[in-house]
Amino acid sequence: MINFTRNLLSVAVGAAALGLVGMAQAADTLKIAIAGPITGPVGQYGDMQMSGARMAVEQINAKGGVNGMKLEAVLMDDVCEPKQAVAVANQVVNQDIKFVVGHLCSGSTQPASDIYEEEGVLMITPAATNPAITERGLKMVFRTIGLDSQQGPVAGDYIADRIKPKRMAVIHDKQQYGQGIAEEVKKTVEGKGVKVVMFEGVNKGQTDFSALCTKMKSENVDFVYYGGYHPELGLILRQCREQGFDARFMGPEGVGNKDISAIAGPASEGLLVTLPADFSANPANAALVKAFKDNNQDPSGPFVMPAYAAVQIIADTIKQTGSTDPEVVAEAMRKSTYQTPIGKVAFKANGDLQDFEFVVYEWHADATKTAVK
Amino acid sequence: MSETFGLEFTQQVINGLTLGSIYALIAIGYTMVYGIIGMINFAHGEIYMISAYIGLITITALTTQLGVETIPLVLLLTLAVSILITSAYGWTVERVAYRPLRGSPRLIPLISAIGMSIFLQNYVQLGQGARDLSMPPLITGGWRFGAEGGFQVYLSYMQVLIAVVTVIFMTALTLFISRSRLGRACRACSQDLAMTNLLGIDTNRLISLTFVLGAALAAVAGVLISLYIGKINPFIGFEAGIKAFTAAVLGGIGSIPGAMLGGVVLGLAESFSSAYLRTEYKDVVAFSLLVLVLLFRPTGLLGKPEIEKV
Repeated sequence: MINFTRNLLSVAVGAAALGLVGMAQAADTLKIAIAGPITGPVGQYGDMQMSGARMAVEQINAKGGVNGMKLEAVLMDDVCEPKQAVAVANQVVNQDIKFVVGHLCSGSTQPASDIYEEEGVLMITPAATNPAITERGLKMVFRTIGLDSQQGPVAGDYIADRIKPKRMAVIHDKQQYGQGIAEEVKKTVEGKGVKVVMFEGVNKGQTDFSALCTKMKSENVDFVYYGGYHPELGLILRQCREQGFDARFMGPEGVGNKDISAIAGPASEGLLVTLPADFSANPANAALVKAFKDNNQDPSGPFVMPAYAAVQIIADTIKQTGSTDPEVVAEAMRKSTYQTPIGKVAFKANGDLQDFEFVVYEWHADATKTAVK
Repeated sequence: MSETFGLEFTQQVINGLTLGSIYALIAIGYTMVYGIIGMINFAHGEIYMISAYIGLITITALTTQLGVETIPLVLLLTLAVSILITSAYGWTVERVAYRPLRGSPRLIPLISAIGMSIFLQNYVQLGQGARDLSMPPLITGGWRFGAEGGFQVYLSYMQVLIAVVTVIFMTALTLFISRSRLGRACRACSQDLAMTNLLGIDTNRLISLTFVLGAALAAVAGVLISLYIGKINPFIGFEAGIKAFTAAVLGGIGSIPGAMLGGVVLGLAESFSSAYLRTEYKDVVAFSLLVLVLLFRPTGLLGKPEIEKV
């Protein structure tokens, strides 16, 4: 019994000591969780987000940090899986981190955002574009990227006004992001009188699409919109071209990275992609672009600058309010405007950006892209 | 209209047979192990995944590093390397995870198999990274049939290669099992393991052989898939494993011709449901088919009614 009490006492003392150390650290660092896929099939997008966010952290720290505190980026891997995202969100809460830049995939952002809202953690996603995320009246959830409901019409208008297909197919991966944007595109083109002859889902992780290609070929489809990510579209392109199905394809920013060319090879030539405007081409960002290049990082990915902006907005608001209380910061964010690498930023009451521009690009087999508008 | 329908149908049969061949090659590994020791080797899908990695790495090394240009040579070397290394994995898995548990209740090796499967998946993730690896197509081109301008059936060289290689290895396996001494011993094991052991046959060696043969055929499937699909990641073993296991059960688990038939039936079912229903229903149809077959023929298409092993 005595032994037991003594053990308990030492544990208590130890815990108190740890707590003190923790507090001592908390006084001069401010942790920001960067949550997204580091591993898994869409890890490339995580790289964009991580490099943008870390660059912002470095540059802010180099200028003396925020109100005397240094920022610390805590990387967390959600593999783009909703289950894992919930685990990550709980980890964030347990580690007492109050600010999150992430998550990346819409399907994992949504369940994580519920936890952040409930626990009073401020979240800015630089990548998740599904409208449902900000439609639920959440106070703590923001984004520095556009919405599928903006991107869908951009793609849809381009298809209906410029391509004018006669028999179009819309394919999606049945995920929140892919299906959501596919539905937006379908709605837009049908509103403009384009005939959608096929609207079908494929399975995430599916590898054989030969039956689908044959079907599109036999339906005389002359244009395909794919809502989803590059691993599946890459294979669809490769297998359809092989079969001699040569309709043009288009996809959202989830397919626009260099891996699509690695998977599809020459079949990726001529693919149309809607992406956020290439912020790295903006002369105002020249110094920042150089900093990325000096670090051997590619600043042109669609989520690099939005992630940078997300960190910057958190830091600016903390400076401005003098408070690290996420609720105070969230409140102030709705009223402020910011000058960031993605342009002038102001938020709507629901946490969406006031405005955000998507541009249509043509993709090339060597993984480069050219704007077509 | 009916003419194009015929052509489309032919194309879907080609698609289905290609997919079915791959399923059949993997299904053999499940069925042989089950036939002899009555255990489902859940790590078999991972063995296939490892072979796809070995295949992709070997092909890339041969073509880009060593500058081997002749495609048949690349293919033969890759198959040889992949079969060799993958068989070693198959043997090791049996030795490490199943042999020490021989004679324990059936559930225990099953759990050990699931553990092995998770281990191998993570092992490859750590060694090769969790991201997709991809490779440009090595074998391109094919034949086109049908009227110019209309719907043309396309039969690629790769699809022919998959069919031919599958048939060669299946025939070799069938001959081995039906004609050779070791094959006869294998059949004896599957009838009565304990009795075969009493008659002086080293059954442990035969069980190892079964795992090696299963792994070798999975290696063939892995090489073919890395050539055909060209994109692999450490998670492909799970889906392929489930599909091949389904094929084995569909055909009658324990029966080698059954696994071949099951693979082809499953491949065709997926292809047709994708073509004439909707793509998202293809797994639903494939598994409904399995349930239906099992309802009316509980032992699968070619399985023999099982006598409970005591």
